[in-house]
Amino acid sequence: MKATFKITRKLFETAKNDLLRRHKYAHERVGWLRCRLGDISESEIVILAHDYFPVDDNDYIKTSKAAAMINSSAIRKALQLVLDKNVSLFHLHLHNHNGSTTFSGVDRRENNKLIPDFWNVRPEMPHGAIVFSRTSLTGRCWYQKGTTINFSKAIIVGTPIVFIGV
Amino acid sequence: MEKRFSRQCFLGGESSMLLGSVNVGVIGLGGGGSHIVQQLAHIGVGKFTLIDPQRIELSNLNRLVGATLDDVENKSLKVDIAERLISRISPDIIIKKHAKKWQEAAEALRGCTVLFGCVDSFSDREQLEIFSRRYIIPYIDIGMDVHMVDSEYLISGQAILSMPDNLCMRCFGFITDKVLKEEAHRYGVAGDKPQVIWPNGVLASTAIGLFMQLITPWHKKACSAYLEYNGNTFELSSSFRYKAIQGHSCHHFDPIDNIGDLFWKRG
Repeated sequence: MKATFKITRKLFETAKNDLLRRHKYAHERVGWLRCRLGDISESEIVILAHDYFPVDDNDYIKTSKAAAMINSSAIRKALQLVLDKNVSLFHLHLHNHNGSTTFSGVDRRENNKLIPDFWNVRPEMPHGAIVFSRTSLTGRCWYQKGTTINFSKAIIVGTPIVFIGV
Repeated sequence: MEKRFSRQCFLGGESSMLLGSVNVGVIGLGGGGSHIVQQLAHIGVGKFTLIDPQRIELSNLNRLVGATLDDVENKSLKVDIAERLISRISPDIIIKKHAKKWQEAAEALRGCTVLFGCVDSFSDREQLEIFSRRYIIPYIDIGMDVHMVDSEYLISGQAILSMPDNLCMRCFGFITDKVLKEEAHRYGVAGDKPQVIWPNGVLASTAIGLFMQLITPWHKKACSAYLEYNGNTFELSSSFRYKAIQGHSCHHFDPIDNIGDLFWKRG
């Protein structure tokens, strides 16, 4: 299975600018992208970003163990985003540099713990995690139990269209 | 850069690779669409998804680029004529063709990078734009018409770029309930609409320019466009309505149910 991720330039910039805001004690910010899916073929899906929700300032935990840690209230609010609608939820954060980016070891470890929990409220949809840089992005989709897929391609649809992974 | 594309090197070192990797959907392969596919093939687009259910008729020969009298005699499909035109320019281009109504082949369009709508009806245009927004695909529409104004013929037309995060054809005032209602009222009325090759050429070339700005821009001006063509004065200009609503947002496609498959299910 292959996964292509698409987001409009406007939404990419909105989310990026929010994630770039300084927090009073967390070193980075976190948000959520609600997405819907389409089948391109039997072996390819397209993940379509629709809207962005920031984590509230008060929902970050003071810690030295990670650049950002969020509390149960943030998770509860995130799960609420997928409770009412048949949508996929993607955890989003930003690495503040230009060019291509990857998940860190901490990102991978925490994503493996967090993302499968989204299936508790919306088991029929894939969910996942995305990391932006200032100009690019990468992501991973938890397609179903036991199957995770890295984005094979991402497209920021604006002027110009930006192709990542082509 | 390949010698073949050396004269378009100002588009950037990656332009050939980018153009070679995109999949362009062209819906309607008559007067407008045949110009579009010819130019895209010359430019170096690597993948095409072609859709048109029709076979050529003698009355199409005045404007269908690449068509021959043999095609008329053989009642060739327009998708086959387009495929031949493209393949003669570059045999390596990957072509998927569907001799069906686009609604019956819509699945094939979901993975396209850009869609060109070269269709006759406003209802098809509206549906194509709705489809494009559903899969976050830029939609470029062209069309021409001939009207009688003050006992003279007026050739007019449009080239529109509808970006998924920007104003739509309803915002532009190009698609309205009134226009759709009038069209539905006329449905089935016999008679060929006047169509000629030269305005189609102007509008198709303009649409290709809009496309190139999306894929491999040569200047920084952002687009989304509603360009109106006056074929009597030979002027192409930005619509007044378009200029008046700059800075506004489109709310015709807001709810999340408007994107993605209606009933997506894990395969």
